[in-house]
Amino acid sequence: MSEPLIFVLMLLSFILLTLLVRFPVGVSLFLAALIGSLASGSGLPWRHLVEGAFGYFDTLLIILTATIFMKTLEGSGALDTYVNFLLRTFYRYKPLFLLILMFIIMFPGMITGSSVTAILSAGPLVAPVLLKIGLSRSRAASFLAMGGILGMIAPPINILVMIMGAGVDMPYVGITVPLLILVGPLAILVSLWLGLKEAKKISKDDLASLLPPSFWPQYGWRLIVPLLSLIFLFLGPSLWPEIIPDLGLPGSFILASLFGWLAGRPFSFFQATQKALEESLPILSILVGVGMFTQIMTLTGSRGWLVVSILSLPSIWLILAMMLSLPLFGGISTFGSASILGVPFILALINLNALFTAAALSTFAAIGEIVPPAAFSARFAAQVMDEPSLFRVQKHSLIPVATFWIMGLILLLFAPILDKWI
Amino acid sequence: MRLRLIKKFFFPRLSLTIVLLILTLIIAFLAGKEFLVQRQSEPIFPSSGLSYHKKLSDYFPALRNTWGDTDVYIFEGKEPGGCILITGGTHPNEPAGFLTAVILIENIFVDKGKVVIIPRANASAFTHSDPQEGSPQRFFISTAKGKRFFRLGSRLTNPIHQWPDPAIYINPSGQKLSGSEVRNLNRCYPGRPDGLLTEKIAFAIMEVIRQEKIDLGIDVHESAPEYPVINALVFHENSSELAALVAINMESFGLKLRLEASPPNLRGLSHREWGDAAGILAVLIETPNASHGRLKGKPSPDLIVEGIDKFYPRASRSGRLFVDYPETGIPLKDRVGRHLASIISLVESFNELYPSKKIKINNIPDPNEVALKGLGFFLHSPS
Repeated sequence: MSEPLIFVLMLLSFILLTLLVRFPVGVSLFLAALIGSLASGSGLPWRHLVEGAFGYFDTLLIILTATIFMKTLEGSGALDTYVNFLLRTFYRYKPLFLLILMFIIMFPGMITGSSVTAILSAGPLVAPVLLKIGLSRSRAASFLAMGGILGMIAPPINILVMIMGAGVDMPYVGITVPLLILVGPLAILVSLWLGLKEAKKISKDDLASLLPPSFWPQYGWRLIVPLLSLIFLFLGPSLWPEIIPDLGLPGSFILASLFGWLAGRPFSFFQATQKALEESLPILSILVGVGMFTQIMTLTGSRGWLVVSILSLPSIWLILAMMLSLPLFGGISTFGSASILGVPFILALINLNALFTAAALSTFAAIGEIVPPAAFSARFAAQVMDEPSLFRVQKHSLIPVATFWIMGLILLLFAPILDKWI
Repeated sequence: MRLRLIKKFFFPRLSLTIVLLILTLIIAFLAGKEFLVQRQSEPIFPSSGLSYHKKLSDYFPALRNTWGDTDVYIFEGKEPGGCILITGGTHPNEPAGFLTAVILIENIFVDKGKVVIIPRANASAFTHSDPQEGSPQRFFISTAKGKRFFRLGSRLTNPIHQWPDPAIYINPSGQKLSGSEVRNLNRCYPGRPDGLLTEKIAFAIMEVIRQEKIDLGIDVHESAPEYPVINALVFHENSSELAALVAINMESFGLKLRLEASPPNLRGLSHREWGDAAGILAVLIETPNASHGRLKGKPSPDLIVEGIDKFYPRASRSGRLFVDYPETGIPLKDRVGRHLASIISLVESFNELYPSKKIKINNIPDPNEVALKGLGFFLHSPS
């Protein structure tokens, strides 16, 4: 069977298994990979399936440990206290309040380069605030997802650019300004677009009835220790590499979780880990399935066919191909999209400034975070917000995504001018 | 009533869990058996010109009994002269780099000076393959008396040997890189004696350079055909004269060589740090390898050896590559032949520039003969 046919067969199998047979997404991806392998004559490639499944092992651990961290914040009462503080401090100035909430979501993503980490660590802090100022669950989930994605592409850490840079031997130097040009306006536009329409100004009395309890009087500064320790563990190894060892993100989350356990009111740490595992298992299984699916696409040659087909388009269509293929492939894996498509695209535009090209391409690839089948950011944001419909979250995200495309395109088209200007 | 409820809800779930667990164990066993195959090292049969066989841990004992320890082959002439280091297998998914080192070890004699060869610079990276690349574990080359196997490894150190990766890697030269680069040997120079495994390997190779008093370091690589640095020699600025001479000498083999200066702000790579930290002449050479490119078709041992790919010629016609990629492929024998031509030219040029440190190496296979007779002709039989 030819490579295009194998690809179509894998895709159709996945869609049918998910939508008609109603298998979980992860299981459908595994079975679609198996079907693709059998159709290509590769048999039952156990090594490849296991190897593919481990492709995102580190990401799986980050998601799980970040969820444990959030459960400890909830359990200790720290989360309620943070929300209480934020609401009381900023409720008077609506646009500023929205921008501050957006920045709070973005911050963990800016440090880790991971939108999922941003959504999982800042999401539960911001989610109740968004609801309390009047946003619907779906709109609030979209706000959260967009914040995560913006944090992912914002400086100082944009892993998508790092991956593309590694593929073309471009050092991760001088990227801060292009990324700021991109992310600054996007953050303002997106937070105001999603927030201003529904957010309402609330009176002090209304606020008092909405406020979650603050545990500050009982536990005081102890409640901030888990958050401070996490920030310290994220930033410390970069600022003082000789003194502070890098535990990796999973290690940092676990250590900060232990601080969270001791920070406030008593709760069962074991039960918190079980609840975290239960909540994150669906997304973990999707990631495992995505890894298998991608590995079998490569094994059967259909990945090569896909990449070459896109790259063989006439130059005039190439930018359009970038804008569409990077998010679509990002729907399977954003990092995979940056590596597999992003690197050849940068090379195809080698006459432009590679930093601007990489920044723009990272914006296109990041859109994949809300594109099915994986749609990690949208899915996680929906989960944090308790929003049952992923589709509603994606619908609210359409206009923000359009601004992502426009800003990325502007950066690409004006790269030569910006290059001279900067 | 309670028993019935337990039967109704508990047993089906328990049975399903047990079935899934058994299935997982069977898959883990089958896959595990295959993964273990990658740990079997391919034999290398040095020529009788070999003077010493050492381990990397002899230069840096902290590597002893770790997966980073590896073989170091030393060919010393009777007369004193200059000293060359050749590293292959820095990235074990670039097979021409490894095979060039093996071909040299199995053939050469040194009359003057010294040649130090490390064929599996990152031994750990030979023990696994890159997830989502669908790579075969081995490829085969026919010799006079049977087939020899060689492993196709990964670009990075095995995560079983070094884990976890940081979110952001700041290498010993202070460059910020994506986290997984912490396992890329060619981003970890000049290494750290108390660092992670890959940084220790880099430090140990720097120790080889210092203790063996190396004059010229040659790091042998391959690159994907869509990458601009291809059929190229990357040189430290202290080696610019040498590089220019090499490009001229390569023409005697009918080969064109692209020259690329090592960017001063791209840190942690051999062609930068060997020159900066140890002060030696430092170069890195590249040939085109379809098997580790992003545009490749179905991966297979044949793709590695014959280089025939379904999609690279199409990409070449679309102008998306930095090398002409013909339908007939770019076979491994041609890529190794090109590396041998570069090494011969490097030695000749070095001798021209530094006559007091002359190096004389005999029996380096002629690149044209390698193309004609194949790699197997220059390799020892499997037993």
